[in-house]
Amino acid sequence: MTSPVLSVTNIKKRFGDLEVLHGLSLEAHSGDVISLIGSSGSGKSTFLRCINLLEMPEHGEISLAGDAIKFKSDRNGGRIASDPQQVQHLRTRIGMVFQQFNLWSHMTILQNVMEAPVRVQGLPKAEAKEIALEFLDKVGVADKRDAYPAFLSGGQQQRVAIARALAMRPDAILFDEPTSALDPELVGEVLGVMRQLAQEGTTMIVVTHEMAFARDVCNKAIFLHQGLIEEQGHPSEMFSNPSSERLKQFLSNTAN
Amino acid sequence: MIDTIVNALVGLLGEDWRAGLEYITNGKHMAWYASFKFTLIAAVAGAFFAVIFGLLGAAAKQSKFAPLRWIGSFYVNIVRGVPDVLFFIFFPLAFEQTVEYFFSRARCTAEEIANNAGSWPPCDAAQWYLSGNDYLILACVSLGLVYGAFAANVIHGAMISVPKGQLEAAQAYGFTEKQVFWRFKVRQMWVYALPGLSNVWMLLLKATSLLSLLQIADIVLWADRLGAPNYLARAGLVHPDWRWKYYLALFIFYIIMAMISERVFRALQNRASRGMVTVN
Repeated sequence: MTSPVLSVTNIKKRFGDLEVLHGLSLEAHSGDVISLIGSSGSGKSTFLRCINLLEMPEHGEISLAGDAIKFKSDRNGGRIASDPQQVQHLRTRIGMVFQQFNLWSHMTILQNVMEAPVRVQGLPKAEAKEIALEFLDKVGVADKRDAYPAFLSGGQQQRVAIARALAMRPDAILFDEPTSALDPELVGEVLGVMRQLAQEGTTMIVVTHEMAFARDVCNKAIFLHQGLIEEQGHPSEMFSNPSSERLKQFLSNTAN
Repeated sequence: MIDTIVNALVGLLGEDWRAGLEYITNGKHMAWYASFKFTLIAAVAGAFFAVIFGLLGAAAKQSKFAPLRWIGSFYVNIVRGVPDVLFFIFFPLAFEQTVEYFFSRARCTAEEIANNAGSWPPCDAAQWYLSGNDYLILACVSLGLVYGAFAANVIHGAMISVPKGQLEAAQAYGFTEKQVFWRFKVRQMWVYALPGLSNVWMLLLKATSLLSLLQIADIVLWADRLGAPNYLARAGLVHPDWRWKYYLALFIFYIIMAMISERVFRALQNRASRGMVTVN
Protein backbone atom coordinates (compact mmCIF):
# COMPACT_ATOMS: atom_id res chain seq x y z
CA MET A 1 0.00 0.00 0.00
CA THR A 2 1.19 3.54 -0.71
CA SER A 3 2.13 5.81 2.16
CA PRO A 4 -0.71 7.95 3.51
CA VAL A 5 -1.18 11.57 2.47
CA LEU A 6 -2.08 12.42 5.99
CA SER A 7 -1.55 10.46 9.13
CA VAL A 8 -2.73 11.47 12.57
CA THR A 9 -1.75 9.37 15.55
CA ASN A 10 -3.02 9.17 19.10
CA ILE A 11 -4.47 12.67 19.37
CA LYS A 12 -5.42 13.78 22.87
CA LYS A 13 -7.06 17.10 23.53
CA ARG A 14 -8.30 18.66 26.72
CA PHE A 15 -10.28 21.83 27.41
CA GLY A 16 -9.28 22.82 30.92
CA ASP A 17 -9.71 19.76 33.10
CA LEU A 18 -11.92 17.98 30.64
CA GLU A 19 -10.23 15.62 28.23
CA VAL A 20 -12.42 15.49 25.12
CA LEU A 21 -10.25 13.36 22.81
CA HIS A 22 -8.67 10.28 24.35
CA GLY A 23 -6.19 9.23 21.70
CA LEU A 24 -7.60 9.23 18.18
CA SER A 25 -5.78 8.12 15.04
CA LEU A 26 -6.59 8.36 11.38
CA GLU A 27 -4.85 7.69 8.09
CA ALA A 28 -5.93 9.16 4.80
CA HIS A 29 -4.55 7.82 1.55
CA SER A 30 -4.83 9.66 -1.70
CA GLY A 31 -8.43 9.51 -2.92
CA ASP A 32 -9.88 8.47 0.43
CA VAL A 33 -13.17 9.97 1.45
CA ILE A 34 -13.51 9.50 5.18
CA SER A 35 -16.57 10.45 7.18
CA LEU A 36 -16.39 11.22 10.86
CA ILE A 37 -19.76 10.50 12.44
CA GLY A 38 -21.10 10.49 15.96
CA SER A 39 -23.54 12.33 18.16
CA SER A 40 -22.86 15.91 19.14
CA GLY A 41 -20.23 16.15 21.84
CA SER A 42 -18.45 13.04 20.59
CA GLY A 43 -15.45 15.18 19.63
CA LYS A 44 -15.60 14.81 15.86
CA SER A 45 -15.31 18.53 15.05
CA THR A 46 -12.56 19.00 17.63
CA PHE A 47 -10.70 16.07 16.12
CA LEU A 48 -10.99 17.59 12.65
CA ARG A 49 -9.74 20.94 13.94
CA CYS A 50 -6.75 19.24 15.55
CA ILE A 51 -5.67 17.94 12.14
CA ASN A 52 -4.76 21.42 10.85
CA LEU A 53 -3.94 22.65 14.36
CA LEU A 54 -6.79 25.13 14.71
CA GLU A 55 -6.94 23.32 18.05
CA MET A 56 -3.61 22.35 19.55
CA PRO A 57 -3.71 18.76 20.80
CA GLU A 58 -1.69 18.13 23.98
CA HIS A 59 -0.59 14.80 22.66
CA GLY A 60 -0.23 12.99 19.36
CA GLU A 61 1.49 13.25 16.00
CA ILE A 62 0.42 14.76 12.70
CA SER A 63 2.30 13.96 9.49
CA LEU A 64 1.71 15.28 6.04
CA ALA A 65 3.20 12.99 3.38
CA GLY A 66 5.55 11.55 5.98
CA ASP A 67 6.68 14.93 7.28
CA ALA A 68 5.82 15.07 11.00
CA ILE A 69 4.93 18.40 12.61
CA LYS A 70 7.45 19.28 15.28
CA PHE A 71 6.21 20.44 18.66
CA LYS A 72 7.76 21.94 21.75
CA SER A 73 6.29 22.67 25.15
CA ASP A 74 5.40 26.22 26.07
CA ARG A 75 5.79 27.95 29.40
CA ASN A 76 2.37 26.94 30.68
CA GLY A 77 3.08 23.25 30.17
CA GLY A 78 1.03 23.14 26.96
CA ARG A 79 2.31 22.41 23.53
CA ILE A 80 3.06 24.66 20.56
CA ALA A 81 4.49 24.02 17.13
CA SER A 82 8.21 24.68 17.12
CA ASP A 83 8.17 25.92 13.54
CA PRO A 84 5.24 28.19 12.58
CA GLN A 85 6.27 27.91 8.92
CA GLN A 86 5.84 24.15 9.03
CA VAL A 87 2.30 24.64 10.34
CA GLN A 88 1.57 27.19 7.63
CA HIS A 89 2.83 24.73 5.05
CA LEU A 90 0.56 22.04 6.48
CA ARG A 91 -2.37 24.43 6.27
CA THR A 92 -1.70 25.32 2.65
CA ARG A 93 -1.74 21.60 1.83
CA ILE A 94 -4.92 20.86 3.80
CA GLY A 95 -7.96 22.90 2.79
CA MET A 96 -10.82 23.50 5.18
CA VAL A 97 -14.53 24.10 4.72
CA PHE A 98 -16.42 25.37 7.74
CA GLN A 99 -19.94 24.89 8.96
CA GLN A 100 -20.55 28.65 8.93
CA PHE A 101 -18.77 29.10 5.55
CA ASN A 102 -16.54 31.84 6.99
CA LEU A 103 -16.07 33.60 3.69
CA TRP A 104 -14.28 36.91 4.13
CA SER A 105 -17.10 39.40 4.10
CA HIS A 106 -15.02 42.38 2.95
CA MET A 107 -13.96 40.66 -0.26
CA THR A 108 -15.87 39.70 -3.37
CA ILE A 109 -16.36 36.05 -4.23
CA LEU A 110 -13.47 36.13 -6.70
CA GLN A 111 -11.19 37.85 -4.18
CA ASN A 112 -12.10 35.25 -1.57
CA VAL A 113 -10.93 32.47 -3.83
CA MET A 114 -7.82 34.31 -5.06
CA GLU A 115 -6.63 35.63 -1.71
CA ALA A 116 -4.75 32.63 -0.33
CA PRO A 117 -3.19 31.49 -3.62
CA VAL A 118 -1.85 35.03 -4.16
CA ARG A 119 -0.89 36.01 -0.61
CA VAL A 120 0.12 32.66 0.83
CA GLN A 121 1.29 30.63 -2.12
CA GLY A 122 2.64 33.62 -4.02
CA LEU A 123 0.90 32.88 -7.30
CA PRO A 124 0.81 35.69 -9.89
CA LYS A 125 -2.60 37.39 -9.82
CA ALA A 126 -3.48 36.50 -13.40
CA GLU A 127 -2.82 32.84 -12.79
CA ALA A 128 -4.69 32.84 -9.48
CA LYS A 129 -7.64 34.49 -11.19
CA GLU A 130 -7.69 31.85 -13.88
CA ILE A 131 -7.63 29.07 -11.28
CA ALA A 132 -10.26 30.81 -9.17
CA LEU A 133 -12.62 31.19 -12.11
CA GLU A 134 -12.08 27.59 -13.09
CA PHE A 135 -13.12 26.36 -9.65
CA LEU A 136 -15.96 28.85 -9.26
CA ASP A 137 -17.24 27.54 -12.55
CA LYS A 138 -16.84 23.98 -11.33
CA VAL A 139 -18.97 24.61 -8.24
CA GLY A 140 -21.44 26.61 -10.31
CA VAL A 141 -21.14 30.12 -8.88
CA ALA A 142 -18.90 31.80 -11.46
CA ASP A 143 -21.70 34.26 -12.26
CA LYS A 144 -21.47 35.61 -8.68
CA ARG A 145 -17.76 36.38 -8.90
CA ASP A 146 -18.14 40.12 -8.24
CA ALA A 147 -20.77 39.84 -5.51
CA TYR A 148 -20.02 40.00 -1.80
CA PRO A 149 -20.60 36.81 0.21
CA ALA A 150 -23.51 38.23 2.20
CA PHE A 151 -25.56 38.53 -0.98
CA LEU A 152 -25.36 34.81 -1.72
CA SER A 153 -27.52 32.02 -0.37
CA GLY A 154 -26.00 29.66 2.18
CA GLY A 155 -25.62 26.93 -0.40
CA GLN A 156 -23.87 29.29 -2.81
CA GLN A 157 -21.60 30.55 -0.04
CA GLN A 158 -20.62 27.04 0.91
CA ARG A 159 -19.87 26.17 -2.71
CA VAL A 160 -17.64 29.27 -2.89
CA ALA A 161 -15.95 28.06 0.29
CA ILE A 162 -15.27 24.74 -1.44
CA ALA A 163 -13.85 26.57 -4.47
CA ARG A 164 -11.68 28.57 -2.07
CA ALA A 165 -10.31 25.32 -0.66
CA LEU A 166 -9.80 23.79 -4.10
CA ALA A 167 -7.94 26.85 -5.41
CA MET A 168 -5.10 26.01 -3.05
CA ARG A 169 -4.75 22.68 -4.89
CA PRO A 170 -4.54 20.92 -1.52
CA ASP A 171 -3.59 17.32 -0.80
CA ALA A 172 -6.74 16.87 1.26
CA ILE A 173 -9.75 18.91 2.32
CA LEU A 174 -11.35 18.91 5.76
CA PHE A 175 -15.11 19.51 5.88
CA ASP A 176 -16.54 20.53 9.25
CA GLU A 177 -20.29 19.81 9.06
CA PRO A 178 -20.52 21.55 5.69
CA THR A 179 -24.31 21.26 5.39
CA SER A 180 -25.43 21.73 8.99
CA ALA A 181 -26.00 25.47 8.69
CA LEU A 182 -27.97 25.17 5.46
CA ASP A 183 -31.69 25.19 4.81
CA PRO A 184 -32.79 21.68 3.87
CA GLU A 185 -33.43 22.56 0.24
CA LEU A 186 -29.87 23.87 -0.14
CA VAL A 187 -28.14 20.82 1.29
CA GLY A 188 -28.37 18.91 -1.98
CA GLU A 189 -26.41 21.40 -4.08
CA VAL A 190 -23.45 21.31 -1.66
CA LEU A 191 -23.49 17.53 -1.32
CA GLY A 192 -23.66 17.31 -5.11
CA VAL A 193 -20.41 19.25 -5.44
CA MET A 194 -18.79 17.07 -2.75
CA ARG A 195 -19.92 13.91 -4.49
CA GLN A 196 -18.34 15.13 -7.70
CA LEU A 197 -15.07 15.90 -5.92
CA ALA A 198 -15.07 12.42 -4.40
CA GLN A 199 -15.53 10.87 -7.83
CA GLU A 200 -12.59 12.87 -9.14
CA GLY A 201 -10.38 11.44 -6.43
CA THR A 202 -10.13 14.39 -4.03
CA THR A 203 -8.97 13.26 -0.60
CA MET A 204 -11.59 14.39 1.88
CA ILE A 205 -12.27 14.07 5.60
CA VAL A 206 -15.84 14.99 6.34
CA VAL A 207 -17.54 15.55 9.67
CA THR A 208 -21.18 15.05 8.80
CA HIS A 209 -24.66 14.12 9.92
CA GLU A 210 -25.63 13.15 6.37
CA MET A 211 -25.69 9.39 6.71
CA ALA A 212 -26.67 8.83 3.09
CA PHE A 213 -23.63 10.78 1.99
CA ALA A 214 -21.42 8.80 4.36
CA ARG A 215 -22.82 5.52 3.06
CA ASP A 216 -22.83 6.27 -0.66
CA VAL A 217 -19.76 8.45 -1.12
CA CYS A 218 -17.24 7.61 1.59
CA ASN A 219 -14.94 4.65 1.42
CA LYS A 220 -14.38 4.77 5.14
CA ALA A 221 -16.40 5.82 8.16
CA ILE A 222 -15.21 6.49 11.68
CA PHE A 223 -17.78 6.49 14.47
CA LEU A 224 -16.72 8.50 17.50
CA HIS A 225 -18.23 8.24 20.92
CA GLN A 226 -17.08 10.38 23.84
CA GLY A 227 -13.69 11.12 22.35
CA LEU A 228 -12.88 7.55 21.35
CA ILE A 229 -13.16 5.63 18.11
CA GLU A 230 -15.99 3.21 18.78
CA GLU A 231 -16.06 1.59 15.38
CA GLN A 232 -14.58 2.15 11.93
CA GLY A 233 -14.68 0.46 8.58
CA HIS A 234 -16.33 0.57 5.23
CA PRO A 235 -19.58 2.50 5.68
CA SER A 236 -21.92 0.14 3.87
CA GLU A 237 -20.83 -2.84 5.96
CA MET A 238 -20.65 -0.77 9.10
CA PHE A 239 -24.11 0.74 8.70
CA SER A 240 -25.86 -2.48 7.66
CA ASN A 241 -24.14 -4.58 10.26
CA PRO A 242 -22.94 -2.45 13.19
CA SER A 243 -21.01 -4.41 15.79
CA SER A 244 -21.14 -1.91 18.63
CA GLU A 245 -24.29 -1.26 20.60
CA ARG A 246 -23.70 2.50 20.49
CA LEU A 247 -23.45 2.62 16.72
CA LYS A 248 -26.65 0.59 16.47
CA GLN A 249 -28.38 3.10 18.69
CA PHE A 250 -26.89 6.06 16.79
CA LEU A 251 -27.99 4.62 13.44
CA SER A 252 -31.51 3.97 14.65
CA ASN A 253 -31.70 7.56 15.96
CA THR A 254 -30.50 9.07 12.70
CA ALA A 255 -32.55 6.79 10.48
CA ASN A 256 -35.71 8.84 11.17
CA MET B 1 -6.78 91.23 -6.71
CA ILE B 2 -8.66 91.79 -3.51
CA ASP B 3 -9.26 95.44 -4.46
CA THR B 4 -10.84 94.26 -7.69
CA ILE B 5 -13.14 91.91 -5.83
CA VAL B 6 -14.07 94.60 -3.30
CA ASN B 7 -14.78 97.06 -6.12
CA ALA B 8 -16.89 94.51 -7.94
CA LEU B 9 -18.88 93.78 -4.80
CA VAL B 10 -19.32 97.48 -4.08
CA GLY B 11 -20.55 97.91 -7.64
CA LEU B 12 -23.06 95.18 -6.99
CA LEU B 13 -24.18 96.09 -3.47
CA GLY B 14 -23.72 99.84 -3.34
CA GLU B 15 -21.22 102.32 -1.90
CA ASP B 16 -22.48 101.79 1.67
CA TRP B 17 -20.75 98.43 1.75
CA ARG B 18 -17.29 99.77 0.88
CA ALA B 19 -16.02 100.52 4.40
CA GLY B 20 -17.15 97.17 5.75
CA LEU B 21 -15.76 95.17 2.85
CA GLU B 22 -12.46 97.01 3.01
CA TYR B 23 -12.34 96.37 6.73
CA ILE B 24 -12.81 92.60 6.46
CA THR B 25 -10.27 92.39 3.65
CA ASN B 26 -7.50 94.40 5.26
CA GLY B 27 -4.10 92.87 5.92
CA LYS B 28 -4.85 91.70 9.46
CA HIS B 29 -8.02 89.96 8.37
CA MET B 30 -6.24 88.28 5.50
CA ALA B 31 -3.73 86.95 8.03
CA TRP B 32 -6.64 85.69 10.10
CA TYR B 33 -8.12 83.87 7.12
CA ALA B 34 -4.73 82.39 6.31
CA SER B 35 -4.45 81.07 9.86
CA PHE B 36 -7.40 78.74 9.20
CA LYS B 37 -4.93 76.55 7.38
CA PHE B 38 -3.18 75.79 10.69
CA THR B 39 -6.45 74.57 12.14
CA LEU B 40 -7.21 72.42 9.12
CA ILE B 41 -3.68 71.00 8.93
CA ALA B 42 -3.69 70.26 12.66
CA ALA B 43 -7.06 68.51 12.41
CA VAL B 44 -6.15 66.35 9.40
CA ALA B 45 -2.57 65.55 10.43
CA GLY B 46 -3.66 65.10 14.06
CA ALA B 47 -6.32 62.63 12.95
CA PHE B 48 -3.78 60.81 10.79
CA PHE B 49 -1.42 60.43 13.74
CA ALA B 50 -4.34 59.48 16.00
CA VAL B 51 -5.28 56.60 13.69
CA ILE B 52 -1.64 55.46 13.49
CA PHE B 53 -1.20 55.64 17.28
CA GLY B 54 -4.63 54.07 17.69
CA LEU B 55 -3.72 51.09 15.51
CA LEU B 56 -0.37 50.66 17.24
CA GLY B 57 -1.97 51.03 20.67
CA ALA B 58 -4.66 48.47 19.84
CA ALA B 59 -2.07 46.10 18.36
CA ALA B 60 0.08 46.47 21.47
CA LYS B 61 -2.92 45.92 23.74
CA GLN B 62 -3.63 42.52 22.23
CA SER B 63 -0.03 41.47 21.71
CA LYS B 64 1.07 38.05 22.90
CA PHE B 65 4.15 39.71 24.38
CA ALA B 66 3.24 40.88 27.88
CA PRO B 67 5.45 44.03 28.09
CA LEU B 68 3.91 45.32 24.84
CA ARG B 69 0.48 44.66 26.29
CA TRP B 70 1.38 46.69 29.38
CA ILE B 71 2.61 49.57 27.21
CA GLY B 72 -0.62 49.46 25.21
CA SER B 73 -2.83 49.47 28.29
CA PHE B 74 -0.71 52.12 29.98
CA TYR B 75 -0.96 54.39 26.93
CA VAL B 76 -4.71 53.95 26.55
CA ASN B 77 -5.54 54.36 30.22
CA ILE B 78 -3.11 57.09 31.23
CA VAL B 79 -3.29 59.38 28.23
CA ARG B 80 -7.09 59.23 28.14
CA GLY B 81 -7.14 60.33 31.76
CA VAL B 82 -5.01 63.45 31.34
CA PRO B 83 -6.88 66.68 30.41
CA ASP B 84 -6.01 67.50 26.80
CA VAL B 85 -5.22 71.13 27.59
CA LEU B 86 -2.65 69.99 30.12
CA PHE B 87 -1.17 67.53 27.67
CA PHE B 88 -0.83 70.21 24.98
CA ILE B 89 1.17 72.47 27.22
CA PHE B 90 3.13 69.63 28.73
CA PHE B 91 4.15 67.54 25.74
CA PRO B 92 5.72 70.10 23.38
CA LEU B 93 7.55 71.75 26.26
CA ALA B 94 8.80 68.46 27.64
CA PHE B 95 9.82 67.35 24.18
CA GLU B 96 11.65 70.60 23.43
CA GLN B 97 13.50 70.57 26.75
CA THR B 98 14.43 66.92 26.40
CA VAL B 99 15.98 67.64 23.02
CA GLU B 100 17.77 70.65 24.49
CA TYR B 101 19.04 68.50 27.32
CA PHE B 102 20.71 66.19 24.82
CA PHE B 103 22.00 69.20 22.87
CA SER B 104 23.52 70.59 26.05
CA ARG B 105 25.26 67.30 26.78
CA ALA B 106 26.81 67.41 23.34
CA ARG B 107 27.44 71.11 22.81
CA CYS B 108 28.01 72.86 26.15
CA THR B 109 31.38 72.74 27.89
CA ALA B 110 31.56 71.40 31.44
CA GLU B 111 32.46 74.90 32.57
CA GLU B 112 29.36 76.42 31.05
CA ILE B 113 27.18 73.82 32.73
CA ALA B 114 28.93 74.32 36.08
CA ASN B 115 28.63 78.11 35.90
CA ASN B 116 25.05 78.10 34.81
CA ALA B 117 22.92 79.88 37.37
CA GLY B 118 19.66 78.23 36.42
CA SER B 119 18.79 79.47 32.97
CA TRP B 120 17.68 76.96 30.38
CA PRO B 121 19.36 75.73 28.26
CA PRO B 122 22.69 76.00 30.10
CA CYS B 123 24.50 77.42 27.06
CA ASP B 124 23.33 79.23 23.94
CA ALA B 125 24.63 76.52 21.63
CA ALA B 126 22.09 74.10 23.08
CA GLN B 127 19.19 76.39 22.25
CA TRP B 128 16.74 74.67 19.95
CA TYR B 129 14.99 77.29 17.86
CA LEU B 130 11.56 76.14 16.83
CA SER B 131 9.80 77.83 13.97
CA GLY B 132 6.03 78.18 13.73
CA ASN B 133 5.98 75.14 11.48
CA ASP B 134 7.89 73.10 14.04
CA TYR B 135 5.33 74.03 16.66
CA LEU B 136 2.59 73.02 14.26
CA ILE B 137 4.20 69.59 13.82
CA LEU B 138 4.47 69.24 17.59
CA ALA B 139 0.83 70.24 17.91
CA CYS B 140 -0.21 67.59 15.36
CA VAL B 141 1.77 64.93 17.19
CA SER B 142 0.28 66.03 20.53
CA LEU B 143 -3.24 65.82 19.10
CA GLY B 144 -2.36 62.44 17.64
CA LEU B 145 -1.05 61.16 20.97
CA VAL B 146 -4.04 62.30 23.01
CA TYR B 147 -6.75 61.21 20.59
CA GLY B 148 -4.76 58.15 19.51
CA ALA B 149 -5.38 56.81 23.02
CA PHE B 150 -9.14 57.15 22.48
CA ALA B 151 -8.83 55.74 18.97
CA ALA B 152 -6.84 52.78 20.30
CA ASN B 153 -9.66 51.95 22.66
CA VAL B 154 -12.27 52.21 19.91
CA ILE B 155 -10.16 50.16 17.49
CA HIS B 156 -9.43 47.54 20.13
CA GLY B 157 -13.15 47.10 20.74
CA ALA B 158 -13.86 46.99 17.00
CA MET B 159 -11.25 44.29 16.49
CA ILE B 160 -12.92 42.15 19.12
CA SER B 161 -16.16 42.48 17.14
CA VAL B 162 -14.67 41.03 13.95
CA PRO B 163 -16.26 37.58 13.42
CA LYS B 164 -13.89 34.95 14.83
CA GLY B 165 -14.73 32.44 12.12
CA GLN B 166 -13.32 34.63 9.37
CA LEU B 167 -10.04 35.04 11.22
CA GLU B 168 -9.98 31.31 11.81
CA ALA B 169 -10.54 30.70 8.10
CA ALA B 170 -7.56 32.95 7.32
CA GLN B 171 -5.49 30.98 9.81
CA ALA B 172 -6.63 27.70 8.30
CA TYR B 173 -5.52 28.84 4.83
CA GLY B 174 -1.95 29.36 5.96
CA PHE B 175 -1.84 33.11 6.53
CA THR B 176 0.75 34.15 9.09
CA GLU B 177 -0.33 35.75 12.35
CA LYS B 178 0.80 39.13 11.02
CA GLN B 179 -1.22 38.69 7.84
CA VAL B 180 -4.29 37.61 9.79
CA PHE B 181 -3.96 40.77 11.87
CA TRP B 182 -3.27 43.32 9.14
CA ARG B 183 -5.12 41.79 6.17
CA PHE B 184 -8.23 40.54 7.95
CA LYS B 185 -8.66 41.99 11.43
CA VAL B 186 -7.64 45.53 10.50
CA ARG B 187 -9.53 45.46 7.20
CA GLN B 188 -12.71 44.26 8.79
CA MET B 189 -12.73 46.28 11.97
CA TRP B 190 -13.45 49.66 10.29
CA VAL B 191 -17.15 49.03 10.01
CA TYR B 192 -17.31 48.59 13.79
CA ALA B 193 -14.76 51.30 14.57
CA LEU B 194 -16.06 54.17 12.42
CA PRO B 195 -18.95 55.30 14.66
CA GLY B 196 -16.55 55.51 17.61
CA LEU B 197 -13.82 57.09 15.52
CA SER B 198 -16.22 59.78 14.33
CA ASN B 199 -16.72 60.75 17.98
CA VAL B 200 -12.97 60.89 18.48
CA TRP B 201 -12.64 63.02 15.35
CA MET B 202 -15.22 65.52 16.62
CA LEU B 203 -13.33 65.84 19.91
CA LEU B 204 -10.08 66.27 18.03
CA LEU B 205 -11.59 68.88 15.74
CA LYS B 206 -12.77 70.90 18.72
CA ALA B 207 -9.37 70.56 20.37
CA THR B 208 -7.79 72.38 17.40
CA SER B 209 -9.10 75.56 19.04
CA LEU B 210 -6.32 75.08 21.60
CA LEU B 211 -3.50 75.62 19.09
CA SER B 212 -2.72 79.08 20.48
CA LEU B 213 -1.51 77.32 23.62
CA LEU B 214 1.36 76.06 21.48
CA GLN B 215 2.56 79.48 20.31
CA ILE B 216 0.68 79.17 17.04
CA ALA B 217 -1.09 82.28 15.76
CA ASP B 218 -4.26 80.34 15.10
CA ILE B 219 -7.80 81.41 14.34
CA VAL B 220 -8.72 81.87 18.00
CA LEU B 221 -5.73 84.07 18.72
CA TRP B 222 -6.49 86.22 15.67
CA ALA B 223 -10.17 86.49 16.54
CA ASP B 224 -9.14 87.66 19.98
CA ARG B 225 -6.78 90.28 18.58
CA LEU B 226 -9.08 91.54 15.84
CA GLY B 227 -12.13 91.67 18.06
CA ALA B 228 -10.43 93.61 20.84
CA PRO B 229 -11.39 97.32 21.07
CA ASN B 230 -9.45 99.11 18.38
CA TYR B 231 -8.72 102.83 18.53
CA LEU B 232 -5.74 102.95 16.19
CA ALA B 233 -7.04 104.29 12.92
CA ARG B 234 -3.85 103.20 11.22
CA ALA B 235 -4.64 99.55 11.93
CA GLY B 236 -8.01 99.69 10.28
CA LEU B 237 -11.52 100.53 11.26
CA VAL B 238 -11.92 101.86 14.76
CA HIS B 239 -14.40 99.80 16.77
CA PRO B 240 -15.27 98.92 20.37
CA ASP B 241 -15.10 95.42 21.82
CA TRP B 242 -16.30 93.22 18.94
CA ARG B 243 -14.91 89.94 20.18
CA TRP B 244 -18.31 88.27 20.32
CA LYS B 245 -18.68 88.82 16.57
CA TYR B 246 -15.40 87.16 15.87
CA TYR B 247 -16.10 84.28 18.21
CA LEU B 248 -19.45 83.85 16.49
CA ALA B 249 -17.59 83.51 13.18
CA LEU B 250 -15.51 80.73 14.77
CA PHE B 251 -18.66 79.03 16.03
CA ILE B 252 -20.01 78.98 12.50
CA PHE B 253 -16.70 77.66 11.16
CA TYR B 254 -16.73 74.75 13.59
CA ILE B 255 -20.38 73.99 12.91
CA ILE B 256 -19.69 73.86 9.15
CA MET B 257 -16.72 71.60 9.80
CA ALA B 258 -18.91 69.31 11.91
CA MET B 259 -21.48 69.12 9.12
CA ILE B 260 -18.84 68.25 6.54
CA SER B 261 -17.38 65.64 8.89
CA GLU B 262 -20.73 63.98 9.29
CA ARG B 263 -21.06 63.59 5.54
CA VAL B 264 -17.53 62.29 5.15
CA PHE B 265 -18.08 59.71 7.89
CA ARG B 266 -21.35 58.61 6.35
CA ALA B 267 -19.53 58.02 3.07
CA LEU B 268 -16.71 56.16 4.84
CA GLN B 269 -19.23 54.03 6.72
CA ASN B 270 -20.95 53.14 3.47
CA ARG B 271 -17.66 52.17 1.95
CA ALA B 272 -16.63 50.09 4.95
CA SER B 273 -19.98 48.30 5.05
CA ARG B 274 -19.72 47.14 1.46
CA GLY B 275 -20.62 43.50 1.49
CA MET B 276 -22.24 43.72 4.93
CA VAL B 277 -25.95 43.12 4.83
CA THR B 278 -26.46 43.35 8.57
CA VAL B 279 -24.89 46.78 8.94
CA ASN B 280 -26.75 49.51 7.14
